[in-house]
Amino acid sequence: MTPFQPGFVHTPITPFKRDYGVDFDTFGKLIAFHLGHGAQALALPMHAGESVSLGDGEQRKLLEFALRQAGKVPVIAHISDSGTGIAVARARHAQDAGAAAIVATMPYYWTPPPAMIVEHFAQIGSSVRVPFFVFYTPEEMGGTKLATDVVLKLIERLDNFAGVVDASLDWQFMVNIASNAQRVRPEFQVLSGSEYMVSAGALGATSMFSSLAAVAPTLVRRLFDLCRRERYFEARADQETVSALRQAVKKAGFAGLKAALRVMGRDCGEPRPPNAALSAAMNAALAAELDVIAALRAEPRGW
Amino acid sequence: MSITLKGVMQSTVTPLKDDFSPDLPAFERLVEFHVRTGATAIAWPHHKAESLNLTIAERKLFAEVAVKVTAGRVPVSIHVSALAVEDTMALARHAQAIGADAILAITPYFWNPSSDALYDYFVRLGTSIDLPLIAYNSPSYLSGVEITGELTRHLIERLPNFVGMKEASFNSEKFVEIARVALTLRPDFALIAGVEFLAPSVPLGGAGSYSSAGAICPNLCAQLYEACVAGDWPTARALQYKLARLWDLFRDQYPSSLKGGMVIMGRAVGPTRPPLPTATRERQAYIRTQLEEMGILDSEPHGW
Repeated sequence: MTPFQPGFVHTPITPFKRDYGVDFDTFGKLIAFHLGHGAQALALPMHAGESVSLGDGEQRKLLEFALRQAGKVPVIAHISDSGTGIAVARARHAQDAGAAAIVATMPYYWTPPPAMIVEHFAQIGSSVRVPFFVFYTPEEMGGTKLATDVVLKLIERLDNFAGVVDASLDWQFMVNIASNAQRVRPEFQVLSGSEYMVSAGALGATSMFSSLAAVAPTLVRRLFDLCRRERYFEARADQETVSALRQAVKKAGFAGLKAALRVMGRDCGEPRPPNAALSAAMNAALAAELDVIAALRAEPRGW
Repeated sequence: MSITLKGVMQSTVTPLKDDFSPDLPAFERLVEFHVRTGATAIAWPHHKAESLNLTIAERKLFAEVAVKVTAGRVPVSIHVSALAVEDTMALARHAQAIGADAILAITPYFWNPSSDALYDYFVRLGTSIDLPLIAYNSPSYLSGVEITGELTRHLIERLPNFVGMKEASFNSEKFVEIARVALTLRPDFALIAGVEFLAPSVPLGGAGSYSSAGAICPNLCAQLYEACVAGDWPTARALQYKLARLWDLFRDQYPSSLKGGMVIMGRAVGPTRPPLPTATRERQAYIRTQLEEMGILDSEPHGW
């Protein structure tokens, strides 16, 4: 069986109305935008999609909505939670709803010992038949590390453990996971968890998750395509531009992504509390920073 | 003030006698070995050379030997960072006096200086000498204190002799942010990966690497660099995975495991000074099994 390689994965944000309810009308437009601008798969709701600010029922509805709209484009369901049982139930729902794969981070808040991290992921992975990916994002998770040993134990226990989505950007981690895991499971994947694809690709990543694809789909897709053809030297200029975009958005804080989308004519509202909206001055500063990134002039405006 | 820094540069370990005193004849052999086996530069004493376990007088003595033995065949850079900044300044002056080609300096130890304080530190150091300055970025070892892209920009604008950086964050975002700024302002700026992480850094504009494993497997290091500059990524990946496995082997109790591995390769350089441990016979035996399994014993030079 050919392993599921998701390719260029867009990670949509979650639009909210003024009362912070999920804005499904806008979400529909957003999914259509992603599908029409190069997404080979969708993953949702990732942290960029404010998963942690969505209730369980909302996450399920959001997934079902996206699956209906995505058609044949694979949808990876992000099912992370603090409690193993809750994550397992969400994973089963995702599979039943038609998700092509599931992805999960370390449990939120807790810092369990390595044996229990293995147990957490093993219970999630074994609850479904679809491919299971672990999302490694230590900066967002209080620095909790994913040890190579944990990954190897999970490979032993889970036939459907397909890969690690790496947002650590850590070369030592990526090399260790790829080289050790592929020795026992050659088809095991390392996926780039953000748009730093040149280094990740050179180290063996074949897929990439991107939230910035909502802002600059043409640029990010070109970067991904060059990297998939292993034309890394050519990809360097785009990599630097994407990094400049990422720094501008990051500097504005969590609301920066939605603010950048608004600049591009795709208003998706503000983040839910406790994440604050940008002030008018911060919005203006971000708009000014985006304005000097020449590559954005070639990107689509509006829906 | 021109210096070419590219390829796999060898930062040598520090040979010690059994009583932990300096073994200068072994150091001479080691520098000669590295130059003969393709080092594109000699760099001493990085942390793998136990820099902080040597007295300032010892550091000066070894530096003189490094410059003398290399004899202009490749550039020699001297790592001048010490706990006390005043010692750093003295080592920099000494490096210039003995004819070294460049100095290297990490962000100051222990204190957590602000970005402004880092700027002042590097400006004071860089303007105190007429040698190229290579900065050393290692945030994970120094409580997150780091040289950002923005600080790099200010330093390049201020210091004409700021020619390169040993970049040891091993992080894509940090590397790209420094490269984006540095290579735009100073296209020949040398971004040098801290150990042989060449596959992820060369396509981003990296000039090469300082070597962790060069005293064990100089051939493998050179092959990886060649594969990267040739854009032969399947080969580069396979070699990078192999070198990463070696890095895992040696960074455990670094550099004592590396010195233990050198015993296996017929290039014994003595113990490691406390508080770092010295590789036991059992550890050496384990390293031998790993080197055998990786084919290093058959493919790399044995002895001096």
